[in-house]
Amino acid sequence: MTLQDRLSRLKLLVVTGKGGVGKSLVTAALGRILARSGRRVLLLENDPRESLYQLLDIPPSDGEIVRAEPDLFLQNLRPTDVLSNVVREHLKVELLVRRVLASPVYQHFVGGAPGFKEVAILGHALRVVRGLGGAPEIDIVILDAPATGHGVTLLLAPSLVSEAIPHGPVGHLAREVAGFVSDTERCGVAIATLAEEMPIQETIELRGALDARLSRQPELLVVNGLYPPLSDADRQDPRLGLWRERRRINERELERLGEEWDGPKIELPLLPFDRGPDLLTALVRRLEPALAAPREAP
Amino acid sequence: MSLLDDSRLVVLVGAGGVGKTTVAAALGLESAREGSNTLVMTFDPSMRLKDTLGVGEAARDREVRVAVDTPGRLDASLLDARKTFDRLVVRYAPDEDAARRILENGFYRNLAGSLGGILEYMAVERLYEVARENRYDRVVLDTPPARQALDFLEAPDRIIDFLESGALRIALKPWFDEHGHLRATSRLGPLGRGVEGFLDRIVGLDLLREMAEFFQAFGPLFDGFRKRAGQVQELLRAPETSFVLVAGPGEERVSDTMFFARRLREAAYRLGPIVVNRLHPRLEGSGDGARLLRWLGERDHRGLEALKSLIPQDHPIIPIPLLPEEPTTLLTLEKISASWCQA
Repeated sequence: MTLQDRLSRLKLLVVTGKGGVGKSLVTAALGRILARSGRRVLLLENDPRESLYQLLDIPPSDGEIVRAEPDLFLQNLRPTDVLSNVVREHLKVELLVRRVLASPVYQHFVGGAPGFKEVAILGHALRVVRGLGGAPEIDIVILDAPATGHGVTLLLAPSLVSEAIPHGPVGHLAREVAGFVSDTERCGVAIATLAEEMPIQETIELRGALDARLSRQPELLVVNGLYPPLSDADRQDPRLGLWRERRRINERELERLGEEWDGPKIELPLLPFDRGPDLLTALVRRLEPALAAPREAP
Repeated sequence: MSLLDDSRLVVLVGAGGVGKTTVAAALGLESAREGSNTLVMTFDPSMRLKDTLGVGEAARDREVRVAVDTPGRLDASLLDARKTFDRLVVRYAPDEDAARRILENGFYRNLAGSLGGILEYMAVERLYEVARENRYDRVVLDTPPARQALDFLEAPDRIIDFLESGALRIALKPWFDEHGHLRATSRLGPLGRGVEGFLDRIVGLDLLREMAEFFQAFGPLFDGFRKRAGQVQELLRAPETSFVLVAGPGEERVSDTMFFARRLREAAYRLGPIVVNRLHPRLEGSGDGARLLRWLGERDHRGLEALKSLIPQDHPIIPIPLLPEEPTTLLTLEKISASWCQA
């Protein structure tokens, strides 16, 4: 079975990693590859300033599910909408909904209650793959998750909330979502990183936290932005000292990562393209063969 | 030039992954080198300053001396939100019983640590502690990464809003009778009933009961919170406080940087230098092998020029070059501060 076969079977793939490592690029690239291999994919963002649309060269989703390619959809789930939709579902009267949303108790307790937002985001993904809530038919949701630390928080939230709230609709939703994310057949995690000391350290810590707290391993690690190896002739060029040294750091950090992680890992080079559709196309071209390579059975 | 001027509190802000913690550490080192007793505080949950300055777990509880030979003392500390919260409870609770009631409350133990804004608020409380003790000539404050809002800076205002919003009054009213059943109350009118009915239906009663107990036990502490939050806000807007905005290189980051700069100005904080970190140098000469590095150098300088064109001319923008090594040693931190001293 190839890595792509494995990813294709999932219902939810959470892409996580620390800030500035190219998480959104990895999300978009994986989405395009799976969509072009016959899956119907929704890329889900949860960011007040959405960015995936720029990579796909379409207008902002503005909170709606929009089509970027025949089988590739995009939605930026606004954090406030996520929770107010839960309210709306349980309180059918719009006047009451508005009053609840405007009330200080809602804004400070429920709106700020730990774990609710995470449960609502994951709950939304679950509803989408079940074909509920008026969404088009979707096979897999790829979630561009918040930065590391929060990535584990995101996946832990459903079980924490369901323990804290054993009853009621939120407790029920949390329990259902907890079951969904703990099912390794349906839900997977991919980690994006750079081969530099701090990002690798955090990747190792994140992998450990996933193992210890959720008993799961990531489906794959994507190491972004590697300085390519220098040719013999270029190695003598004194102007390229910075490149040589950064490459050396990349190699050292890849080796350190290798000591902690022998699972699927894809290395992507630093490419001379501005962030945008061209960079995405170039990354997809490199990611595709790596995903299609045979992989040992789990 | 120096990034320090005569600021007694230097706050580093910027998006995730741009090197805020590194710049904070380098600033702290420069400050101590100039002879000021300096504290570098970080709130980053990944605890990166620990790696950079070689301070271990002990720095979660108290300030730890950094092993460096400088005219001024250099200390570092790490914020542990839970420990700060626990310490506050013990310090400000009216008696031991009240403190124990809070510390043993299930809601407090499991969830309160990430209740909207509380985490950032603990950072503010920690800053208040340090400022009040007044043991340092200068404090360099690293902040958690933020993309959209300056969460950390907004936390005190949010808490004050919250305290004044009446939410607390609702939370503190006797929700439950002596048998642990939700009281049917009409005192708050239709809104109160609607909200209560909603809370009951949506979260269930167990959490609500624990939250009510928590806020009842916590109530007496809130007044002090409001007072301290107000004082920290004053401190953050004081003339001896400046904000150093750290940005990543490249044109695509310019909008992020402008966003932060605008938000700081709007909120009446004093924006100090803008640091553009990890710039690739411009490459001279030709040759095919150098193509990638030349492109990176051009990209980063294009971004720098774009930023300069948007910022008033007399506002300092400080480029820091990408170094051939990782910023994990004191020596590298010195190289970083040397680069802005030359600028």
